[in-house]
Amino acid sequence: MSALPYVFWTAFLFGLIIALAWAISKYLFAVYTGKKGRLDRLFDPIDKAIYKIIRADPSREMSGKEYFIVLLVFSAFTVALCFIILLLQGLLPLNPQHFAGLSWDLALHTALSFATNTDLQHYAGETALSYLSQMMALQFLEFTSAAIGLCAAVAVFRGFSGKFKGIGNFYYDFVRSVTRVMLPLSAIAAIVLVASGLPQTLGGYVTANTIGGGMITLPVGPVASMASIEQLGTNGGGYYGANFASPYQDPSPFTNWFEFVLMLVLVTSMPFLFGSMVGNRKEGRTLLIATYVIFGINIAIAFINFTGFGPYMEARLGAFSSVLWTAAATSTMTGSLNASLSAFSPFVIISALLGMFIQAAPGGLGGGVIYLLMYVVIAVFIVGLMAGRTPEYLGAKIIPQDVKRAVIAFISHPLLILIPLALAFSTGAAAAIGSGAVPNGYTQVLYEFASAAANNGSDFLGASANTLFFNISTGIVVWFGRFISIAIMLIIADSMSKRQRTPETGLRTDNMLFVAILVGSILLLAVLTFMPFIVLGPVLSLLQGFHAI
Amino acid sequence: MQSDNDKSKGEVRTTNSAADAKAGNINGILRESVYRMDPRRLISNPVMFIVELMFIIVAGMAIDPTLIPIVSSQSMQTFYFYVAVILIVTVWFSTLSDSIAEAQIRATAESLRQIEHEVKAKRMDSDRKLEVVSSKVLKKGDIIRIDKGDYIPIDCAILEGVAMVDESLLTGESAPVRKAPGDVLIGGSVLASDSLVAKISVDPGDTYLSKLISMVENTKRPKTQNEQAIAALLLGFTAIFTIIIVAVLWLSVSLSLGVDLSVLIALYVCLLPTTIGALLPAIGISGIRRMSVNKIIAKSGKAVETAGDADVVLLDKTGTITFGNRMATEFMPLGGHTEKEVGDAAFLSSWHDDTPEGRSIIDLAYRKGFIPKVFCSIDRASAVEFSAVTRISSVKLEKADKFLLPKGNKGSRQGSRIRKKYQTDIPVEELNISKGAPDAIMKSAQRIPEGFQKLVDEIASSGDTPMAIAVGDEAIGLIRLKDQIKPGIKEKIESIKVMGIRPVMITGDQPLTAKSIASEVGINEFVSQAKPETKIDIVKKEEAAGMIAAMVGDGTNDAPALAAADVGLAMGSGTVAAKEAANLVDLESNPAKIIDVIILGKQLLMTRGAVTTFSIANDVAKYFAIVPVMFAALPALNQINVLGMPPETTVLAALIFNAAIIPALIPLATRGVKLKPRSTMSIFLKNTVTYGIGGVILPFIGIELIGRLILAL
Amino acid sequence: MDIFETIKSPLILAIVIMLLCGLAYPVVITLIAGVAFPFQANGEQFTINGSVAGSYLIAQGFNASVFFHPEPANFSASGIDPTITLADAYSQVARISNATGLSESTLTGIVNNQSQYTIFFFGPKFINVVQTNLYLIKKYNAIYSKYANLSG
Repeated sequence: MSALPYVFWTAFLFGLIIALAWAISKYLFAVYTGKKGRLDRLFDPIDKAIYKIIRADPSREMSGKEYFIVLLVFSAFTVALCFIILLLQGLLPLNPQHFAGLSWDLALHTALSFATNTDLQHYAGETALSYLSQMMALQFLEFTSAAIGLCAAVAVFRGFSGKFKGIGNFYYDFVRSVTRVMLPLSAIAAIVLVASGLPQTLGGYVTANTIGGGMITLPVGPVASMASIEQLGTNGGGYYGANFASPYQDPSPFTNWFEFVLMLVLVTSMPFLFGSMVGNRKEGRTLLIATYVIFGINIAIAFINFTGFGPYMEARLGAFSSVLWTAAATSTMTGSLNASLSAFSPFVIISALLGMFIQAAPGGLGGGVIYLLMYVVIAVFIVGLMAGRTPEYLGAKIIPQDVKRAVIAFISHPLLILIPLALAFSTGAAAAIGSGAVPNGYTQVLYEFASAAANNGSDFLGASANTLFFNISTGIVVWFGRFISIAIMLIIADSMSKRQRTPETGLRTDNMLFVAILVGSILLLAVLTFMPFIVLGPVLSLLQGFHAI
Repeated sequence: MQSDNDKSKGEVRTTNSAADAKAGNINGILRESVYRMDPRRLISNPVMFIVELMFIIVAGMAIDPTLIPIVSSQSMQTFYFYVAVILIVTVWFSTLSDSIAEAQIRATAESLRQIEHEVKAKRMDSDRKLEVVSSKVLKKGDIIRIDKGDYIPIDCAILEGVAMVDESLLTGESAPVRKAPGDVLIGGSVLASDSLVAKISVDPGDTYLSKLISMVENTKRPKTQNEQAIAALLLGFTAIFTIIIVAVLWLSVSLSLGVDLSVLIALYVCLLPTTIGALLPAIGISGIRRMSVNKIIAKSGKAVETAGDADVVLLDKTGTITFGNRMATEFMPLGGHTEKEVGDAAFLSSWHDDTPEGRSIIDLAYRKGFIPKVFCSIDRASAVEFSAVTRISSVKLEKADKFLLPKGNKGSRQGSRIRKKYQTDIPVEELNISKGAPDAIMKSAQRIPEGFQKLVDEIASSGDTPMAIAVGDEAIGLIRLKDQIKPGIKEKIESIKVMGIRPVMITGDQPLTAKSIASEVGINEFVSQAKPETKIDIVKKEEAAGMIAAMVGDGTNDAPALAAADVGLAMGSGTVAAKEAANLVDLESNPAKIIDVIILGKQLLMTRGAVTTFSIANDVAKYFAIVPVMFAALPALNQINVLGMPPETTVLAALIFNAAIIPALIPLATRGVKLKPRSTMSIFLKNTVTYGIGGVILPFIGIELIGRLILAL
Repeated sequence: MDIFETIKSPLILAIVIMLLCGLAYPVVITLIAGVAFPFQANGEQFTINGSVAGSYLIAQGFNASVFFHPEPANFSASGIDPTITLADAYSQVARISNATGLSESTLTGIVNNQSQYTIFFFGPKFINVVQTNLYLIKKYNAIYSKYANLSG
């Protein structure tokens, strides 16, 4: 079997994704800079109505601190609403299977996890959640958390750009993200998905008398509307426990590749949008290339020792798709899988862990590009050091305060992974769910917290992690993993927005050399920070001769 | 040799010979480096403090292996001992590098102090009566008299007299410098001729020399922005590695991975940015030292680093790019006049003009034989001196019929000979000759000959300065004045240009002259016909655009601009106001040094960057060396033990490498990385390859070699 | 009151967006889907004699040896994968041929006809077990009727 057609296919896919992303970025630029367009006639009245109901002035500039506080308070309310629905689902309508309410810790974990764009699922949707919960609790949060990612990114872009008054207004960004970006795109994608085989109904599950005798239940529901937003918003919280491995969520090769594109398209449009907003397309291109180089390295790692089809994959999707999808889902912080992690060689797991440790190549919607800019601040600083100049980015001086803040944002990531990891083993919580030893059990728990801290959401443990320890620990981790970096980057952006700009002098950040520097610094930081922990997990299992975990 | 100033050092020297003094110095450095290992002093360097803390733990384990159960074992006692020894040596290397840097700086301060002798001074009271006093009791505002051969006791400004001053002790420049009223004399220089009356401009202890010394000695400087940012980065890495090590230890205990605490500590210390942590203070100190060697007083370390960052540097044409003494080379008649007529008029107009230009006009006229007949009455003429407002000087010859002996000797060397030759009585008609900038003459004279402007442009565009001559109300011709470009300045300007710094030339010249000079030295931007306020305008404009501006100044006029500029270098010979306003003062008064300051600043930033990058890059290799052999309970990991040595050897070798790299880099830290003028990008690339990629590869080789050596022993 | 003002807007916004994205959006999509694509929207069910006998997309037990068997429940990632690889399908041909008397080449031909690429036009192929078995039942009704629960 020659690898060539696969390489061509991958190149075609990414070419398509990048082209679509470029086109979408034009639209996004118009949305966030308030450029007039034909669609305004449709959206303006909706937006105005919302501003009126919430009594907010969308034109008022917010400081970085205010922007973040409003964003955080809003997120907290979405958690509360989701938590209440999940807790009380047994009493609420649209529950044809009569599922009982979730335990408080699972409900809280699920709410936090979806509100932070993580979507770790310590339950299987088809056996635990009512239609109302899937829609009003989860799909709702998939929209808000994606929109928050977009808002944060756009605000940070404005600050870095320096071409705007400040970093903008949260309500303006958020409402437009929902009404003009996430809702229309999801609706279009959902219709395509229904047409190609995903269920979308509020009628209850169907019981079938099978041909071979015996009964099966067909777990239908509002699936397509969730699958579209879960991919577009890099949420990854699926309708079913098996997520895209489930034939109802990913019934055919067409849906598979369509959903694959959905997962990457908005994320990929972010560097383009950045380039437009800072007024230098080349700067955006640099970030895009850096992102895709690391992404490419991750994909390449995942395909080392590629053994083809095996257990815990889906025959209609094939091994190639499963590995590529997994690399993409863990690099984009979507975390929706179309196979089980147990299917994969340690190389796929190494690739996935790397993706989640770096979380910026391309990373989650909005969150990824913000994280990338944090790496840029560090990389630019190192460049400045080596060239004997005070570092500058986009004409603004990078001051010690920025470096300090970026470093804090970076440190928070290993801290959020390693403390609960060690706690899980020392308290016996990991052993209690059968994951108490190196390398396999250790890998599963490491993966769980790496996934939580990076707001990815893929995991080995699934419903088996529905214990008090894992619900609470990952709940805390997802929350801080999401908002520490957003807070810090908003504050850096706010201060950048007020900083004086100089014409480009000497050190350019829009060429291939800077791509190399950025990629080098990111990989160096990832290796320095996480190397021993990867060694104890997938590397050890490789060395011990395991091929499937 | 026991010098007067030793008492201030608190160090008692007991020996007499120079060799012993050096040995004593080494002893002093060693003793100081040991004192500095006191944890209370070391805490100012967090990285090294942690290493010392780790030493205490491992030393405890070496004494009693059962001290910390689970993660240590009795059989490893000898190993613990070795680890402890290497750890404390690591700390010592760091304090040693500090001590060496400070010893160097003390030596520099010492040599500067030699200059500032306590001497006898002749203080003058209000009745001009002299009193001999010690220079130590002189106060600001005192008037002193200085005679030939006297040391200038303290910084002062000349009130009366012109004399030659030998500043060689300060500047190393052997030729004496001419000083006239208004000029500043620097304490420590020697009067080579004549006598002067001068007013003390500073209090003792406030002289520029003592400022230089105190800059050198004051090592407790506030951290510069660059140092703060590096400190933040280092603290970040320290935090990350602390988290990692704690997590590994915790996991190892929970999962029984068999990690020995001493090995983990070894990994920790290897990962910590010990190299840069150890050398950071020394780099800063030696930067200051290099400034002082260049006789530049930096009022803050920040000024030096900011200089390294400069985007634009304002260069005065005169003094920086050219010597400033323009020489007349040609008389160019216009409107039917002859060359002699122009030469004669020029001669007359320049007789009272004691500027280098004026002298050169007299010389040229004499060489060409253009001596006017009316020469004899020249001294009786009333002269109007050049003013910056009119930009014209003129001379008015009265009607006379009697020869008058010229007074004084303001003219050129030829003056006396000329006088001898032309002692005849020639009647003089009233004559009014003016000389000045062509555009000023064009305004003042009624009759401007055809082709005047064309010739002006022609002279100017060839880089020379045109000077117009008018007799009565008619402009009769032009004088070509040639500028002398300083040797080597073109190369210096080129070097800052490739580093991405924009030089801007400031001159009072005509635009065309300015353009020609600028292009001759490779400057694209220049400001011509500059007025005193031009500099501050440019500084403000550049800074408003976010540029970091560096400039040189000496006059009081320059003070506001010097104060506004990010980097202001005042000349030691400049006015007090200028020196107060600037953040750098060059005692040697060489304006071209601004370029050296910029290069020095860059070097300082780069040295920190290089060592930081090297330090961090090293970690990759150390990880790959130690992690595979760290987990005793996981023998499978030995498959990725790339160095192929037993665990204890690998760990010791990595630790030894980690320690040894500190003294190995001390020369780099104190000397600074080599900086050849190149584009910022290629400087960056070269450093990245050398210190980044080199930093990844070198430890592999180093650790392997040290390990093999240990195994062989 | 300041704090109340600060939190009032986010709270109302959360509720508005919940109704918009969590209720209006899926309901509208459901309505459109129900009208435009009722078969897909309801999970691609097939009926035998009027009663639902399964979905083309969900594996069901075909225990008799005359059928192509899907992956055992816990062998695929979803546990309900209705598809198997081509190799898996070929490996079942001999058994089915034995049980049904259909020639191996006929069965292989059917498998080949039913197979699809995982990447549109290349890559490994798979067959849908449900569809293939339904095809066999329809085409060879005489053989299959006694093994299949066709009563509904």
